[in-house]
Amino acid sequence: MSENKLLEQNASTIQKHHMGLKASRAMSNTAIYALLVAISIIWLIPFVCILLQSFRVESTWQVGYVIPQKWGFDNYINLFKTDFPRWYTNTFIAALVTSVLQTIIVLCMSYTLSRFRFKLRKPLMRLMLILGMFPGMLTMIILYRVLKDLGLTQANAVPGLILVYIASSGMGYYVSKGFFDTIPRSLDEAARVDGATRFQVLKKIILPLSKPIVIYTILTAFMGPWGDYVFAQYISFGTSSGMNVAVGLYRWLNKDQIAQCYTMFCAGGVLVAIPVTVLFMCLQKYYVEGVTGGAVKG
Amino acid sequence: MASVKLTDVKKVYDNKVTAVHDFNLEIADKEFVVFVGPSGCGKSTTLRMIAGLEDISGGTVEIDGVVVNDLQPKDRDIAMVFQNYALYPHMTVYDNIAFSLRLKKMPEDQVYEKVTNAAEILGITEYLTRKPRALSGGQRQRVAIGRAMVRNSKVFLMDEPLSNLDAKLRNQMRAEIILLRQKLDTTFVYVTHDQTEAMTLGDRIVIMKDGFIEQVGTPTEVFEKPRNIFVAEFIGAPKMNLINTKLEVSGGKYYVNPFGARIEVGGEKGEELRQAGVAAQDVILGVRPEHMVLADANSEAAIPCTLEVNEMMGSELHLHVYTEDGTRLIVRVPTINLTLEQRKELVYGKKLYITFEGKVMHFFGKESNLNLIYG
Amino acid sequence: MKKYSDLEYLKLSKGQKLLYKVKSFFCAIPQKILGLFVALWNLIKNACTLVKNEAVDIWSTFVNGDWKTKVSFLVMGFGNLARGQILRGLLFLLFEVVFIGYMILAGGYWLSMLPTLGTKGPSEEYDFVLDAYYTVYNDNSFKILLYGVLTIFFIIAFVYTWRVNVRQNKLAEQILKSGKKLKSGKDDLRSMVDDKFHSTLLALPLTGITVFTIMPIVFMILVAFTNYDGAHDGYYSNLFTWVGLDNFNTMLNWNVSSGGGSVQSYAATFGEILSWTLMWAFFATFSNYFLGMFVAMAINKKGIKLKKLWRTVLVLTIAIPQFISLLYVSKMFAKNGIVNGFLMSMGWITEALPFWEDPTWARVTVILINIWIGIPHLMLITTGILMNIPQDLYESARIDGANAWQQYSKITLPYMLFVTGPYLLTSFTGNMNNFNVIYLLTGGAPTNPAASSAAGTVGYTDLLITWLFKITQGAESQYYLASVVGILVFVVVALISLVVYNVLPSIKNEEDFQ
Repeated sequence: MSENKLLEQNASTIQKHHMGLKASRAMSNTAIYALLVAISIIWLIPFVCILLQSFRVESTWQVGYVIPQKWGFDNYINLFKTDFPRWYTNTFIAALVTSVLQTIIVLCMSYTLSRFRFKLRKPLMRLMLILGMFPGMLTMIILYRVLKDLGLTQANAVPGLILVYIASSGMGYYVSKGFFDTIPRSLDEAARVDGATRFQVLKKIILPLSKPIVIYTILTAFMGPWGDYVFAQYISFGTSSGMNVAVGLYRWLNKDQIAQCYTMFCAGGVLVAIPVTVLFMCLQKYYVEGVTGGAVKG
Repeated sequence: MASVKLTDVKKVYDNKVTAVHDFNLEIADKEFVVFVGPSGCGKSTTLRMIAGLEDISGGTVEIDGVVVNDLQPKDRDIAMVFQNYALYPHMTVYDNIAFSLRLKKMPEDQVYEKVTNAAEILGITEYLTRKPRALSGGQRQRVAIGRAMVRNSKVFLMDEPLSNLDAKLRNQMRAEIILLRQKLDTTFVYVTHDQTEAMTLGDRIVIMKDGFIEQVGTPTEVFEKPRNIFVAEFIGAPKMNLINTKLEVSGGKYYVNPFGARIEVGGEKGEELRQAGVAAQDVILGVRPEHMVLADANSEAAIPCTLEVNEMMGSELHLHVYTEDGTRLIVRVPTINLTLEQRKELVYGKKLYITFEGKVMHFFGKESNLNLIYG
Repeated sequence: MKKYSDLEYLKLSKGQKLLYKVKSFFCAIPQKILGLFVALWNLIKNACTLVKNEAVDIWSTFVNGDWKTKVSFLVMGFGNLARGQILRGLLFLLFEVVFIGYMILAGGYWLSMLPTLGTKGPSEEYDFVLDAYYTVYNDNSFKILLYGVLTIFFIIAFVYTWRVNVRQNKLAEQILKSGKKLKSGKDDLRSMVDDKFHSTLLALPLTGITVFTIMPIVFMILVAFTNYDGAHDGYYSNLFTWVGLDNFNTMLNWNVSSGGGSVQSYAATFGEILSWTLMWAFFATFSNYFLGMFVAMAINKKGIKLKKLWRTVLVLTIAIPQFISLLYVSKMFAKNGIVNGFLMSMGWITEALPFWEDPTWARVTVILINIWIGIPHLMLITTGILMNIPQDLYESARIDGANAWQQYSKITLPYMLFVTGPYLLTSFTGNMNNFNVIYLLTGGAPTNPAASSAAGTVGYTDLLITWLFKITQGAESQYYLASVVGILVFVVVALISLVVYNVLPSIKNEEDFQ
């Protein structure tokens, strides 16, 4: 057989194979599209429902259908006749202050553990690992009593909450340490040889390179208090003016309140979800980078 | 510009592994010293101790007569080029080079002058506004050098600066470093694992292994008078052939008898052996591949062997052969000395005879591995 | 057991290999436990030598030191002041003054009360002037325990500082002898942003962790050995006091001592909840892990368009606070919720499905909803790692003739498991303590009457952590019991972590990633 013929034959078998590949790929792609559409629907349904029900005015109680028979803003208007604005403000202040302070603490901690090799480094990391195995809730009992003695509970819950949120935030250093670990250490060394102090290295080299993780940390630090239930429940201790949105809204779903407050809960939920969702969508890129860059390296 | 003096410098890691043992070396002002050795020999660690990037476990490092053990890198007045360049990715080339000057709070017009000047010398002026990401390997290397250059520091440290470049670029940059050295006229400490770089760049070479200094000397010294087998094998490519044999003395003359051949150690080598008072003994005989030649079958000094691989390198052939007892040797033969006919015959299985002269021999003690004359 | 060399092992058939692995795993257990004890013994030994060395060093510093050093043993910072290190000296001195002042004014009292936790509880006294009874609060057990712990921490800090003070004197003497200069206060301040920068950075976070995590944990561990509860809160009602190991006895005892047949022992309740907790953690972790990876792979598959859209839809659910989505979804699945309403209006069912009423239904539903919560996170995490897998691995596998499943099981999965090993572990233990999902979805419901007879209102979906929470609620508030549960949770988590850490390859060397 001549060389040419051989080549031709090869080409034709390759083509045949290719056709088969193409067809099967198209098949599997269709299946995947179907799956993704199904997933999207399942994932979005609750949010669509909550949105629709927040506009329902014909009844405040749970019903077996989704689309309101009568539309209106009554639920939203009613929200402002309750303590909801107060809860909202509480949550917002707590989340904002926490996100700033917690970010500073977490970055200090993770930068140090990633970059410095001091004698107590390993023992420290091991200690924090062990501390993390204790259920954090256990410490709430004592923290509540101490904060109560300091007058930082119930009506004054916000400063108390902020204290609780940021106090131990140094323990959550894993993700950002993982990110810092990916920045080559020779950059630090080069800068130090170039005449930079350790502080200047952090300010001029590391931080400018760590934008994703800084934003990620701020975002998670904000979202923690924004949706926190346990600590807020403990510290507000039944006092409405000291509650955050989670605790307040949770109470509306109690057996004795749900009949009047169910649709109002939906409206409140929508108002709570909107700012974080917008924030999140804007910063999605950094969040994803943070998660994929640091989360699993820990 | 300054001298560097290392006295009993030691590095012990937390896990009790000793990376560098009592390192003693004096580097003169404006000298170019190369640390060379296989990976893990402690050469980079030593350099980083000079730079202040590693703690010094014992001994002292002096720069210009001042002990710098407890000084931070920034206070040692050194410049360093890293293996992976370590360019700040968020800064432009200009900002990268200007970084150290700005930390010194130098006025911006002087910064401009210095940076553009350095860029001019290195030929990177047109890239000054680019980020490192947009540069090729060679260009990055130049920026890294530029960054170190503008500092006018006492000592210039380079940690394997060429190992990330491809072979062609490496040769080119090597030449440029030699030029740079003429221009900067400062003290250089250069770390590499590549013996060619060491030989071509260094005024003096420090050969290291497992944290110990094996030999310190000029390129000529370490090539011609290797102190021990390790140095002999490490310097020169392909590496030196080593042959177990006996050194004999008969009638005031020295002889060796590798693989049954009998070769007289004549001339200067014989004289040196006599002066060193070397007695007859079992030795390891070292002969560099380029010093072995093809010989006639009927010579007394000829060693019979069989050709295994013939590597055509262009100007020369590397013949891998094995002797009758299975020892493998490499012979470097200039292509020009052979006719086309002869070259065609050099194929697998060809029987050859090789020989060498006394003056090219190196003798090492069988137990000590030390050079019998210079060790 | 016969040990094979590496080459012999390769010769075995697949089944033999598996058998060998299982066998060697179990045979290694005694050795591992022995190793643990050896490590413990070494730890103690090292601690003893450390104390000995320190003592010897302190003694020799005193004997060989000059008079400035000797005075410093009593007056901290004196040596620094006398040698011109004003800043350091003043700090030492200040600390000593504060410490002594505290110990005299308060610390001594707290410490002396610690063994009893107070002797005199609140009592009614008669006021002759007003002709009325009023309550006198005397000792406060809670405060005694709290400040007692605080005082002990303070003493430890003082001893450490004193030791630093002694060492500094020794160093200063050495430095001066060698003819060098001591660091001035200015140098100290400068080194705070340079060579001692790590101490500066760590100061704030570590203070927070010590005060708000370590001390509370120590406190709560101690509470497990008292009878602190709603009826003994130490101030408003009775004092509480040490009870030794009684609480552990109660918790781990299978026999019911009182209450007759209807009461289940604590140990049985604990065991029941623990087994569900482990089951939940297992399913929650691995269902999310594999399904999340699957979704990530589907989205990232070559030729799939609108990748960003699919991802955004999923990420949206991360943004919305969990308490909203969880509470709402929980109501969706209620008897009169949307799901049942929809199914009934379609005529597929005639009676509402018991999502939250039947134990098994509830447990399955919780796990399914957790998948809904967890997949977006896992999708993000796995996407990053999947993209890091070198493509040439797949190319070479395809040339070697691997099909899609083989590529997944031989390349993707091992790679993922290696990289995400530590993550899986933390996510497992995190799920064991996943308060939010359970509490907001079911609140532990449906109630488990048998288990509830022990303590709190225990439901079939209650995890140990939600049980712990429930115990501390209400008038009874059995804090001591919550403490015991907390300690047991710690023990379980620690055991699991210890075992997994020894098995995982990717944890062994942290520096591998750098």
